[in-house]
Amino acid sequence: MTSAAPPAGVRPAKPRRSPWTTVALVGFAALTWWAASTEFGIGFDVVRIFENITRGADIIAEFFPPNWEYLPRTYGPMLETFRMAVIASVIGCGVALPISFLASRVTTPNLVAFLVDRSVLNVVRALPDLLYALVFVAAVGIGPLPGILALVLFNIGVVAKLLSETIDGVDPGPIEAANAAGANRTQMVRWSVLPQVLPNYVAYSLYVFELNIRASAVIGIVGAGGIGNLINTERRFFRYDNLMVILIEIFVFVFVIELISIWLRRKLV
Amino acid sequence: MTAATPTARPRRPSRRQVLFGVAVLVALIGWAVVTLDVLPERLLRLPGGLAHIFHGMYLEEGPEWEYLPDAIGGMLESLQIAWIGTIIGAVISLPMGLLGARNVTGGIGSNVMRQVLNAIRAVPEVLLAVIVFIPIVGIGGTSSAYAGTLAIGVHSVGTLGKLTAEVVEGIDPGPVEAARAAGGNGLQVQRWGVLPQVMPEVVAFWLYRFEINIRASAILGVVGAGGVGEALTQAMAFNRLPRAGIIIIVIIVATILIDTASGWLRRRIIEGAAARVGGEALEQPEIAEVRTA
Amino acid sequence: MIRFENASVTYPGGVPALKGLDLEIPDGQMMVIVGLSGAGKSTLIRAINGLVPLTAGDVLIDGMSVRRARPNELRELRSRIGMIFQTFNLVRRTSVLNNVLMGRLHGAGTLRSLVGAYRPEDVEIAMQALERVGIVEKAYVRASNLSGGQQQRVGIARALAQQPKIILADEPVASLDPPTSHVVMRDLQRINRDLGITTIVNLHFLDLAKVYGDRIIGMRAGELVYDGTAAQADEHVFRDIYGRSLTADDVMGDPTARPATIAG
Repeated sequence: MTSAAPPAGVRPAKPRRSPWTTVALVGFAALTWWAASTEFGIGFDVVRIFENITRGADIIAEFFPPNWEYLPRTYGPMLETFRMAVIASVIGCGVALPISFLASRVTTPNLVAFLVDRSVLNVVRALPDLLYALVFVAAVGIGPLPGILALVLFNIGVVAKLLSETIDGVDPGPIEAANAAGANRTQMVRWSVLPQVLPNYVAYSLYVFELNIRASAVIGIVGAGGIGNLINTERRFFRYDNLMVILIEIFVFVFVIELISIWLRRKLV
Repeated sequence: MTAATPTARPRRPSRRQVLFGVAVLVALIGWAVVTLDVLPERLLRLPGGLAHIFHGMYLEEGPEWEYLPDAIGGMLESLQIAWIGTIIGAVISLPMGLLGARNVTGGIGSNVMRQVLNAIRAVPEVLLAVIVFIPIVGIGGTSSAYAGTLAIGVHSVGTLGKLTAEVVEGIDPGPVEAARAAGGNGLQVQRWGVLPQVMPEVVAFWLYRFEINIRASAILGVVGAGGVGEALTQAMAFNRLPRAGIIIIVIIVATILIDTASGWLRRRIIEGAAARVGGEALEQPEIAEVRTA
Repeated sequence: MIRFENASVTYPGGVPALKGLDLEIPDGQMMVIVGLSGAGKSTLIRAINGLVPLTAGDVLIDGMSVRRARPNELRELRSRIGMIFQTFNLVRRTSVLNNVLMGRLHGAGTLRSLVGAYRPEDVEIAMQALERVGIVEKAYVRASNLSGGQQQRVGIARALAQQPKIILADEPVASLDPPTSHVVMRDLQRINRDLGITTIVNLHFLDLAKVYGDRIIGMRAGELVYDGTAAQADEHVFRDIYGRSLTADDVMGDPTARPATIAG
């Protein structure tokens, strides 16, 4: 074997980096500096994390061991959370179904109906669940009712967004087939589009149900019922051992729902 | 020809399973409605209550426009919290996600990491702020925003880590094998065999998480963890509806603007990547999240 | 009878797909359209049931104008014209029977079809359509579990369930292997002969066109360049239609699956 160099060809120049990459990098750095700086932003400081680290460890230590004797007292509020999630998911997903069909050009060629629906949907999605809870508590008083109402709006936003995007991506073939067979729009949607998106719809519904269980831990803080009420009480008394029990309970609950939803999805798809 | 082929027609399959499922669902809903302590007369108060609030916010004296600069200031703080929180989440979740991928780590290691990520994910930002970070760093001055940022960052680690692990598990094993065959060490294999394959999708997840984190940071103020939510809670508590009205408008407008920009950017990233891998469409992050949730 | 009168289609962006076509297709004929892809074959077929709107001229079906039909008249018209597609266009996640029942949608009424409570007569028609293509045993199987050839037969059954006067088939065998292609083409030919349904088929493969077509028309750049019987269509004719010499890609070339017994 010789060590002679291979025949020399014309080597291409290294391609210049796209100017957009530079713009993106500079923009990213500027944005981050702006957000983290003390003058303009939140004054974020990595060193500070380490300053607080011992205090953090102390507080974390207070979560252990969990106070298991507290467990029975959580059953009632947890059941309330479960009921709230069931009702809010059913209503939210039910309302989201027609809204989703209106929010896709595939099923709604009428531009005005489509744009109106999309805009309403964007506004609904822009507000977080806790804010809805705040408003509904002001409207109807504290308890599970404002919580359910807040979750319903939240669910409509999530499911309608996901489902309308799924509808955008359905196979157009069956739609053409239904049209060619003389079906009207309702029939086309029912037999060409719905069967294609039904498994996704079920998956999204289970997903928001799971989100609702977690969300109800939060909206209780403003008086919207469920397990969050209890969390709010315990944190005021700094009972971290009790809080830990609730957190573990939520975790297990969500985990079980996930297992059920994986099983169900496998059966459906 | 014609006599249609004499194959026997099949019997209609039993629908017992479906019917059973529907029955269970109906029973569940019925139980929830009956046992839940929701008085119908309170539901009747809803239209009036909402009308009263809407009237107070936007009609009576109109929204409090003089408060607009403060509302925008609060929203900017929320955006900053969301931005820094997302960066924290992204930076920490990347190695954790790689470790949580079965095809990278494998065995007990990835399972343990997965459960750690699940546990982090299970605690919502607001809870993290209220029971962990506010007690640690306190409230007031820059502390509120600091607590909120950490809460968002930690929760994002959970969600982003899980999504990253899922994407990594879906990669083509070829380049990894090639990097290994060329004598690359562990880190080199990750850098040149794994990362180039997953980065477009992972960055799209980061952006999508930023969109979600804006919503989260807008309400962190409810528990005193900084951002626009603080002013909103105050306004609602003291029944200053015109002020709450302007804050809500600012939140809606800012969120929609950023959603639009971020969504455009995500589509560009994903489409660019799809063009490079030969037109195969990559998955939308929202849908991927549901799949893996 | 189908009559094209100066029928023209220009797609948005100014691409002409059909240029002033005049054509008559008598009842009961099996007509095959050949031509390169992009020659306007699909447009011609879709102009018949109005899936592609004409930009000039007209298509008359038994004297009724497709172009001037109101939406409900167009649906009525379409319900009497079955259509078969290259990629089958089945809803893969639902049962074969539900797919075939799509052919009964027009007569079923919106409310009835919405909840899936089809009349027993409609189910009977769908079952008979499945029997005619020989896969009635798959009625309750999900469409995605069928092979390509079986799926196309479901597509044919769906068209038959409309009890149509006309069947349009847009490249019905382009996604199938050669032996299956012949099975599907024979099904179409049988339906044409037995039921007297006017059948119009787009085909890419010339040998298939010659075997199954009573009449062959050639399209090139949106214009009719040949119209004659299968027997007259020799290599020169095809060269005219294609604008080049024939290659192996233009024939299916599977002599084993082309026995002389195909004739009905």
